[in-house]
Amino acid sequence: MWNQLDTGFGHWNVFVWLCFFVIVSGFVLWVRSLGRMDYKRNTDQDEIYWSGNEVPDDGAKISVPASSSYWGFRVAMEPLYAVLDKFHSGNASDYAGYFVVTVALIGLLVLF
Amino acid sequence: MNWHDHLPAFLVMIPLLGAFLTPFAASFGKTARNAFFMLFMALTLVVGMLLCTATFDGGVLVYVMGGENFSLTLPSGMSYPVRILFEIDAFGSLLIFCISFAAFAGALFSIQYMDRFSGWKRFMSLYFLMTTGALGMSATGDLFNFFVFVEISSIASFGLVAFWRDKPESLEASFKYMLISQVAAMLLLIAIGSLYGKYNALNMGALSSMLRSGTLERVSLALILSVLAFKCGAFPMHTWMPDAYAEAPSGVTCLLVTVSQASFYGLIRVCYTIFPAVTQGGTVGWILIALGCMSMFFGVMMAVVQHEIKRLMGYHSISQVGYMLLAMGVGLLALSDGNSNGTVAAYGLTAMKGGLFHVVNYSFYKGLLFLCAGALYYATGTRDLDKMGGLARSMPWTAGMFAVAAAAISGLPPFNGFVSKWMIYESSFAVHPLLPAVAMITSVLTLASFAKVFQAAFLGPSKAKLVAVREVPYGMLAGMAILTVMTLLLTLFPGWFMDNFFENAARALLDRQGYIRAVLGGM
Repeated sequence: MWNQLDTGFGHWNVFVWLCFFVIVSGFVLWVRSLGRMDYKRNTDQDEIYWSGNEVPDDGAKISVPASSSYWGFRVAMEPLYAVLDKFHSGNASDYAGYFVVTVALIGLLVLF
Repeated sequence: MNWHDHLPAFLVMIPLLGAFLTPFAASFGKTARNAFFMLFMALTLVVGMLLCTATFDGGVLVYVMGGENFSLTLPSGMSYPVRILFEIDAFGSLLIFCISFAAFAGALFSIQYMDRFSGWKRFMSLYFLMTTGALGMSATGDLFNFFVFVEISSIASFGLVAFWRDKPESLEASFKYMLISQVAAMLLLIAIGSLYGKYNALNMGALSSMLRSGTLERVSLALILSVLAFKCGAFPMHTWMPDAYAEAPSGVTCLLVTVSQASFYGLIRVCYTIFPAVTQGGTVGWILIALGCMSMFFGVMMAVVQHEIKRLMGYHSISQVGYMLLAMGVGLLALSDGNSNGTVAAYGLTAMKGGLFHVVNYSFYKGLLFLCAGALYYATGTRDLDKMGGLARSMPWTAGMFAVAAAAISGLPPFNGFVSKWMIYESSFAVHPLLPAVAMITSVLTLASFAKVFQAAFLGPSKAKLVAVREVPYGMLAGMAILTVMTLLLTLFPGWFMDNFFENAARALLDRQGYIRAVLGGM
C-alpha cells in the first residue's frame, strides 16, 4: 500500500488520519451550524470589538509584534538565553575558536 | 554503449558547462538568459532523476573519467583505482534527487525574484557552480575529489551569500562563513592527505577495504567528522548558518539547504562505509547522537525567540539537522550492536530509514519555507515579522504553501515531517528514552515557532504600509509549488517512497562490501 507504512514498531496510514480529519471537520461544521443565524454582513456586527476602545486604523497598533510573542517563555528561560546570547557573539574569532575547540574535543573522544 | 552509461558524467558536466557558458548566453538578452538558465537546470533535474532510477534498479553505478573505458576501474597492473571516479549507489542518488529538485525549484523562483537586481551573470554562474559542487559531493567515489567538490560549492556559496554586496550584513555573513570554512577545509585536506600518506589510495571503496583502526585513522576520522558536521550546521559549529541563510537570496538558500545535506551525506558515508573499523566501538555513534541532541534543542531554542524570518528559519535548519544526526548516530550504534557480518539491529535500520526520510523531507519543506520567506520579502520589502501582518488576504497562495511547509516541519500529522520524526522517536527510544524526549520537545517548540511566524505574517489586521501588497509573480509561485507538491506526495504516499527510496538507500549504505566490490571487483 502506497499510503501505508510499517516500521517494525508501529503502523501508519495517512488515509485513516485524513478520514479522521474529515469526520472532525464535519462535526465542527455541524456545531457551527447550531450557532446564531442573525449575523448580517456590512453592519456594525462586522466591527472589531477591542475592549470597548476605538479601533485604530493601523493594524500595527492592535497586534502583538512577533518579538513579544512567548515573552513569558523567554523570561522563564532567561538564564539559558543569557548563555546562548553570549555564545552567539557575532565575533568571527569566537566562532573559529568554537570550531577548533569542538574539533579537539571530538578528536579526544575518538582517540581514547 | 549508450548515453545512459554516461549519466554520472552528465550530472556534473551539465551545470559546470552552464556556469562557463553563462556570460555567453546572457549576452543574448534577458529571455535567452532565463531560457538558458532553466534549460540547464531542467536537464540537470532530468539526469538526476534518471540516475535515481538507474541506481534503484541496478545497484551501484561506477564511472571512470579519463580512462580508455569508462567502466574500467582497475587498469592492468593496478591494485587500486587512481583515476577520477564516480560511484553512485541508492544512498547517493537519494541526495542527488533532493539537490537537483531543490536547484530547479530555486532557479525557477529566482528568475523573477532576482529580476529587480543587477549581477545576473555572476548569480547564474555561481548558482550553477554551487549545484555542481553539491552534486559532485554526492556522486564522487574519491576522497580528494570530494574535497574539491566541497570547495567548489563553498566558494560559490561565499559569493552567493555576499551577492548583495552593498549590504554590510551580507558581506559579514559571507566573511564569517568563509573564515571558518577555510579553517575546516585545511583540516579536511590534512585528514585526507594523512590517509593517502599511509594507504597510498584516495578511492573510498579502496580505503574502506584497507583501513584499520589506529591512531592516524582515528585522528583523520575525528577531523573529517568535525569538518562535515560543521558544514551541515551541527551545534556548536553552527554559528555561520543563521547569518548565511538569512543574507543569501532565497533561491540560493533553498539550494544551500541541500548543499548542507551533501555534507551530511559525506559524513554518513565516511562513518558507515570508509571507517567502520573505527566506528564499531560505539563512540562515534554517541558523538553523532550528542551533536544531534544539542543541535535540535539549542537550534530550536534560538529560533523560537527570533523575529527576523530567515534568521529564524536558519536556526530551525540547525535543529532539523539534529534529527538526522540523531537518527544516523542511532543507526551507527545499532551497527555496533549487530554481529560481525555487518547486520544491524532492527531499531537501527528503522532509525536509518527515518533519518533518510527526514533528509528528503527537510530538503523539500525547508527549501519551501525559505522560498516563502523570500516571497514575503519580495512583496513587503522586509524580513522583520514585527512589520508584517494580515498577508494571508493579499498573498493567499504563499500563505497556503507556507502553512503546508510549517505543518510538515513541525511534525503535525498527517504530514511527512511527522512520519520521519515518528520513526526517529521509535528507534531512538530503544537506545535511551531521553533521546525521543529531547526530539519531541524540539518538535513542540518548532510548532510554537512556526505558529508565531504564521500569526505574525499572515493573520491579524493588515499593516497600513502593506495595504498595496499583492501576491508574488507566477514564476515564483511555480518554484514554491514544485516543493509543495513534493511535500504533499511524501505525505500521501510514505509507503511507496519508503519501499522504493529509503529502504534501498539504507540497505545500500549498509552494504559496504557491495560498495567496495563495485570498484575493486572480487577483492
